[in-house]
Amino acid sequence: MAEISFERIDDFRFRIPKSYKPGMRVDGIIYATEKLLSGAKNDNAFEQVANVAFLPGIVKHSLAMPDIHWGYGFPIGGVAATDPDDDGVISPGGVGYDINCGVRLLRTNLTLDDVQGKISNIVNKLYQDVPSGIGSTGDVRVSVKEERRVLLDGAKWAVAQGFGVKEDLESCEEFGAIEGADPDSVSERAYIRGKEQTGTLGSGNHFLEVQVINDVFDAKIAEKFGLRLGQITVMIHSGSRGLGYQVCDDYVRQMIGCLSKYAINVPDRQLACAPVNSPEAKKYIGAMRAAANYAWANRQVLMHLTRLVFEKVFSKSWQSLGMDLIYDVAHNIAKFEKHIVDGKSKLLCVHRKGATRSFGPGHPELPEKYQETGQPVIIPGDMGRASYLLVGTKKSEEETFASTCHGAGRVSSRHEALRNIDIDVLMKELKVKGIEVRATGKKTIVEEAPSVYKNIDDVIEVVQESGISRKICRMRPLCVVKG
Amino acid sequence: MKKYEILEHTADIRARIFARKKEDLFVNSAICLFGLLTDKKITAEKIRHIELSAAKLDDLLIFWLNELISVFYSYKFLPVDYAVSIDDSPGAQKLVAKIAGGDFDPYDSKNVKSEVKAATYHNLKIEEDRNGFIAEIIFDV
Repeated sequence: MAEISFERIDDFRFRIPKSYKPGMRVDGIIYATEKLLSGAKNDNAFEQVANVAFLPGIVKHSLAMPDIHWGYGFPIGGVAATDPDDDGVISPGGVGYDINCGVRLLRTNLTLDDVQGKISNIVNKLYQDVPSGIGSTGDVRVSVKEERRVLLDGAKWAVAQGFGVKEDLESCEEFGAIEGADPDSVSERAYIRGKEQTGTLGSGNHFLEVQVINDVFDAKIAEKFGLRLGQITVMIHSGSRGLGYQVCDDYVRQMIGCLSKYAINVPDRQLACAPVNSPEAKKYIGAMRAAANYAWANRQVLMHLTRLVFEKVFSKSWQSLGMDLIYDVAHNIAKFEKHIVDGKSKLLCVHRKGATRSFGPGHPELPEKYQETGQPVIIPGDMGRASYLLVGTKKSEEETFASTCHGAGRVSSRHEALRNIDIDVLMKELKVKGIEVRATGKKTIVEEAPSVYKNIDDVIEVVQESGISRKICRMRPLCVVKG
Repeated sequence: MKKYEILEHTADIRARIFARKKEDLFVNSAICLFGLLTDKKITAEKIRHIELSAAKLDDLLIFWLNELISVFYSYKFLPVDYAVSIDDSPGAQKLVAKIAGGDFDPYDSKNVKSEVKAATYHNLKIEEDRNGFIAEIIFDV
């Protein structure tokens, strides 16, 4: 593998010219600093940026966000838009197995003083009442007929069942249910895997975290979101569980066959794809949207269970605790969105694989309440440092198909973490910082230790300084339930 | 001869599989997969049949592993023994397998070590030399 030589565009942008590899249709552009770039050079992530540039119909650039790391097919932190009118393709590998993995952020009226002495109680109850862990199953059991409704109606289904209120839906990307889901394109096995897991957090990097706002960068917008310094927030990170994994596998398998059928040349079979207008792509799009809706329903149920825990701990209704949803974002998804290409508005298929939509102020797809501010962008960090709330910008609409980073991004493997990190030392370090962690297994805590991630502050600096999103506040963790 | 080893990968799990024969490559890959999932030993009580075909051997190996993942989670079936045969006519690789295993709850965190979402096609390598076969597989976890 040839060493990639990056062309420095400015302090926060680097180019992989399309001359790097024959077959690249466009340049790769990486949003990073020299520091972040050198930290990720040892893995295959940048090669993957170049590979994505092979996709038929790719428009402008193959993009990577500053949390980029080695994935499979697309890098994690990869963004690519294709033009359906120019034989553009959709690739299930550009969405990933955990379809609509995403994050939501709730505000509360509580302050640090209100939760002092109650953190252990909160984290224990969250751990007890919100199903988490490897292959966790939930109390929310649905029949196959009901599951079809989940796949069609997403978070709307959950609200109709009493898991939340209709105001929550306004605070979700796609209002909690993307149109065009096709439950008939979802395999029986995906249904079976989904049935057990509605309302469960899952394992790996999924989590539920209680945080306090320890920095406010834009008090005016924070105020509009009902947020201020010292206030308690709750963040939930989960996805479409086994249902999404099965949908992805079913369609990658099918699209491997599409590579020869449509004479598509990609350097990695995980980039298997089909022209957006082909029957295979249409079926995948219907199934992917169904899985995305399942994930929105799932996060809605998880939020409801979280609100109930707070009600128990504080003996107040969640409404009087002010536990309103700020926003819910998807960071593994493909969407059809209008973007300007060569001065013309085009409907493109935007793949975000570990990247967050970042619409600026005035975007027609945003609800009224966020028209002036731009879309809330929620970026979780690691469990020992911080997470951020940002807003989308016009600049990201111009440069990155309205996309930004999705997290801190890993720097070392799970294997390495298990070899090098002592659980007792780690737990002590977290305790010193005042962070309580619960998980089904110690292994997950070690694999998700803060040191395996990039420093979230470095990642956020890039999206802030390059202008593809704007910092509103920074939250530090108080307690975490890990899957 | 060891059956597999785990290698570094930033976000997921990368495994190297060793086998003398092509069929054993499929068996040892399955042993690696279920080694990642659980340490639990069960007795074989049931038989399942799997038939798959693919244009390339690489694809067939990933189809096989993902079929096993799917059977594990959908039908709560843990394989313990495998009889695999491969018909590798050019352009049409075919696998016929008989798997012995038993009921197992893949959602019981007491018995499950990791969640494996899928075996991926990324950087998949199958090499053959005079000692047999070596494959490298990345599992999404």
